Amino acid sequence: MKKFTHIVLKNYRLVLVFILLGTLGNLYSIKQNFALETDLETYMPKSHPAFIFSDKAEAQFDIRDAILIAFNDPSGIYNPTTFKKIKDLTKAIQKLEVVDNKDDVLSLYTADNIRGEDSGLEIEPFFKRIPKTDLQFKQIAENVRSNEMVYRRLVSEDEKSTLIFTKIKDNSFSEELYEEILTLANSYEGDGLEVYVAGQPIVEGTMAILMPKDMKKMFPLVLLLIFVVLILVLKSFKASVISMMVVILSSIWTFGLMLGLGIPIYAPSSLIPVMLIAIGVADAIHMFSHLQLQTKVHRNWTKTQLIENMNTEMFSPVLMTSVTTAVGFLSLLSSDIIPIKYFAAFTAFGVIMAMLFSFILIPAALNLVGLPKSKLSNKSKSNTFSDKSKLLAVSLVAHKKIVFVSTILVLLFFGFGMSKVWINSSFLARFPDNNPLVTTDAFVNDHFLGTTTINVILESEESGKFKNADVLNLLDDLAIDVVSQNENVGGSISLVDFIKRMNKVLNEDREEFYAIPDDSDLIAQYLLLYEMSGGSDKLWEVVNEDFNMANLQIQLKNDNSKSLNATLNSVELYRAKFKDLGVNLNFAGSGYKVLVFNDLILQGQIRSLLYSFLIVVVLLTLMFRSIKLGLIATIPIFITTVISFGVLGWLNIPLETTTALISSIAIGIGIDYAVHFIDRYKIEALKHKNKTLAIQETMAHSGRAISFNAIVVVIGFLVLTLSAFKPNIALGAIISLNMFTSFIATISIMFIVLYVSNVFFNKPSKTK
Amino acid sequence: MNKLSLVLSFLLLSISTVTTAQTAKEIAYLVYNKQSPSNGESDMTMTLINKKGHERVRVLHQYFIDLEAVEKQLMFFKSPADVKNTAFMNWTYNEEEDKNDDQWLYLPALKKVKRISNSNKDNDFMGSDFTYEDMEKRSPERDSHTLVASEMFNGEAVWVLEAIPLAEEQYSKKVAWVSKEKLTPLKVEFYDEDEELLKTLFIKDIENMEGFWIVIDQEMVNHQNKHATKIGLENIVINSGVLPSKFTQREMQKGL
Repeated sequence: MKKFTHIVLKNYRLVLVFILLGTLGNLYSIKQNFALETDLETYMPKSHPAFIFSDKAEAQFDIRDAILIAFNDPSGIYNPTTFKKIKDLTKAIQKLEVVDNKDDVLSLYTADNIRGEDSGLEIEPFFKRIPKTDLQFKQIAENVRSNEMVYRRLVSEDEKSTLIFTKIKDNSFSEELYEEILTLANSYEGDGLEVYVAGQPIVEGTMAILMPKDMKKMFPLVLLLIFVVLILVLKSFKASVISMMVVILSSIWTFGLMLGLGIPIYAPSSLIPVMLIAIGVADAIHMFSHLQLQTKVHRNWTKTQLIENMNTEMFSPVLMTSVTTAVGFLSLLSSDIIPIKYFAAFTAFGVIMAMLFSFILIPAALNLVGLPKSKLSNKSKSNTFSDKSKLLAVSLVAHKKIVFVSTILVLLFFGFGMSKVWINSSFLARFPDNNPLVTTDAFVNDHFLGTTTINVILESEESGKFKNADVLNLLDDLAIDVVSQNENVGGSISLVDFIKRMNKVLNEDREEFYAIPDDSDLIAQYLLLYEMSGGSDKLWEVVNEDFNMANLQIQLKNDNSKSLNATLNSVELYRAKFKDLGVNLNFAGSGYKVLVFNDLILQGQIRSLLYSFLIVVVLLTLMFRSIKLGLIATIPIFITTVISFGVLGWLNIPLETTTALISSIAIGIGIDYAVHFIDRYKIEALKHKNKTLAIQETMAHSGRAISFNAIVVVIGFLVLTLSAFKPNIALGAIISLNMFTSFIATISIMFIVLYVSNVFFNKPSKTK
Repeated sequence: MNKLSLVLSFLLLSISTVTTAQTAKEIAYLVYNKQSPSNGESDMTMTLINKKGHERVRVLHQYFIDLEAVEKQLMFFKSPADVKNTAFMNWTYNEEEDKNDDQWLYLPALKKVKRISNSNKDNDFMGSDFTYEDMEKRSPERDSHTLVASEMFNGEAVWVLEAIPLAEEQYSKKVAWVSKEKLTPLKVEFYDEDEELLKTLFIKDIENMEGFWIVIDQEMVNHQNKHATKIGLENIVINSGVLPSKFTQREMQKGL
């Protein structure tokens, strides 16, 4: 290492020019290849059976999430002004570029009214021309009220609101489109009419656009604050600038490589700079902290000597922390989700880059600009810190029982909290409560069947299966049960609604005929009658042409995972019954896919946390050549993880993708602190052969750097709690919390365990 | 007049020497007035193609008779099996009667004849992409006609004729490529009320049978909902001697 540093110092100009050129090259690559991937579909693992099935079903039944526009007329919708607006807006939306089929817009103007007349069947819109008389409006109102398929779905119970559903082309949501639809819809406001725009595509799309935007706004603040705090703790402008350079350059090189390889920035990848700052800045802080201490001790050393000493003594801990952290992230490669694999691979790459820059850029830059003017020569101040940490070390040892007991209590408390953690894949829950999307969604959910959809897909080998009365009766039971058992389920629609409706209207509107007829041929003939009477394609959204596949669409009033899972569970109760009739049951649709997707992320995350523990134990055991030390080093990670999840549980913050991903930072930070601390302890132990002196020196040296690191990152990331987006708030809070708990866990319980375990003192010959 | 001319399209090869220049309206009358058989029967295969390209095939047997004031049509489903013997009867009244079509459907499983009360001419014929009006003749007096061009189309001399209804109707405009020899459109474009192209009719096969030009194969493509319907005829018997007494609800219930 000395040789290496020597070469770097000798050719520092060349090294700096090389780094500068490399950075410019990577900046060019970022500029040339910059691409954000916000389309959620591309995140889904296409080869996963649940996704393959869902995609097939979506294509079959034209399952797409709809944009919902609600009209609310406090004086009631049945008047010429509002009807004209319903008709005009429906037609205006049908003309939009993103609507490729006029049938994709469903409103009172386009919906089918199936009714019986003259002992025949009539299917026609509720209105074509705007009605002129009150009598006509009364008739329409009555038609809506008596139509089970429309009432509460298109018109609210109080008859003051009505909905317009729009299915847009796949993957066509954009900020501009949202603006266009919003402007168009809002132009119908007035004359007492209120307009609301909601729906899953808007929620998802807006989040994909606004969250990175919010991050872009907040992130410079984080950097700035970290820089300021760095200056305060390192008391050197030069050192702070160089530390920031290490972190920023490693981010640039990482993104340069990633984009250069043609990989766009997926949402998890936007967390890479966050990770690199929290983890990478540690390398620089530890090195500068060491340098400052050595400058103080060895006043007669030359600049070159000091730098070489820094690189040599810090080589082993920085290498160890970086490699273990990188390997910890690489364990995420086991995830099923490609964007997470990229996140893992490139964060690992970035961590290694940060290490290389620490070893190369710091010496070279110092050689260029000179050593930081250490204000530490102000003896009294630095000694205060050193004295205090030494005092702390001694008093901790004296009260080790208290440390043990309180650690166990803390673990129990947060361990119990962990059991309360719940997973939420809701998109809406990530928005601030006062966001217009949240209030609009709430309005639509209050007045109609619900904005979230789950599709239950029933499939049989036998064509014509869904003309069979037994199968349809079971489907009817399922639909009724799901709605009655879940208060979050507003309603459902399936083939049985069409058949029951026709059976009723073809039997003089008698309620007892609102049921499935027993004769399969009659069902087939009803369906023919439906088609011959001008029934629309809506039928083909609930059953396929061969009648061996059916779609039960369930509408929910919220998209949180608890209600989605409760609904899935009540459907599951019917799986066996359908199986007996030769029908397979599966789920489809975006609500379901997001649920599965989040489960995959979380499973992957938890699996990777476990792998990380194992890898860290193995690596550290090899590095320190002691299983005992390998295990001791996992203490901060373990405690940090338990507290991190425990806090989520106690505060009732649901686990979602960002929160879960960020938990891997616990590993990165936990390892860093533990390794630096243990490595220093080893050096001091071998040097002093005196346990008390060793712990005091370790606390003064490593404890100092760790506390600097913790302070810098905690304060920097607390800024994120001012963000509008809940996941970004959670991100800031969790990073800060993890930093803090890792710090405390390292200097308290791990420190005590290290002390009590007597490593480096029992058999010092074996540890080196 | 046989108004269901497009279902059977029995067209007379009359006035074969149309050499002098025609006005648009005269051409429209030539097409409107051409002779057609007064009764007959055939098998009909109707293929409904949805936007995903999935095809559903119905096979029917149809009878028709032209009784001047009213034209009657009776069809029996042969397949699919679960609707076999379902019968559909349609009565179209002469334009002077100014009366909507009467339609009935006999459902064997219900053993009842149901009236399809909503027999608006704008409605789809049997759930296909043809509306009832598309299959009927239309008096040239109801449109204003323009002769757009006289050109070759698929190797045949055609007039390109544009018709715009005088009153507000389901189509804002129709453009037809009419064969000069057969006096039958070879292609028709239908424009919706917003003057956007809604559907195109392609006549794929015309045969001369007993002096009538008969459309054997045709396809209607709906550009807005991406549907298509093919109608093909087989086993055609012209003037087979079908009696008016065939077209009753009793006969519907008897089946084929």
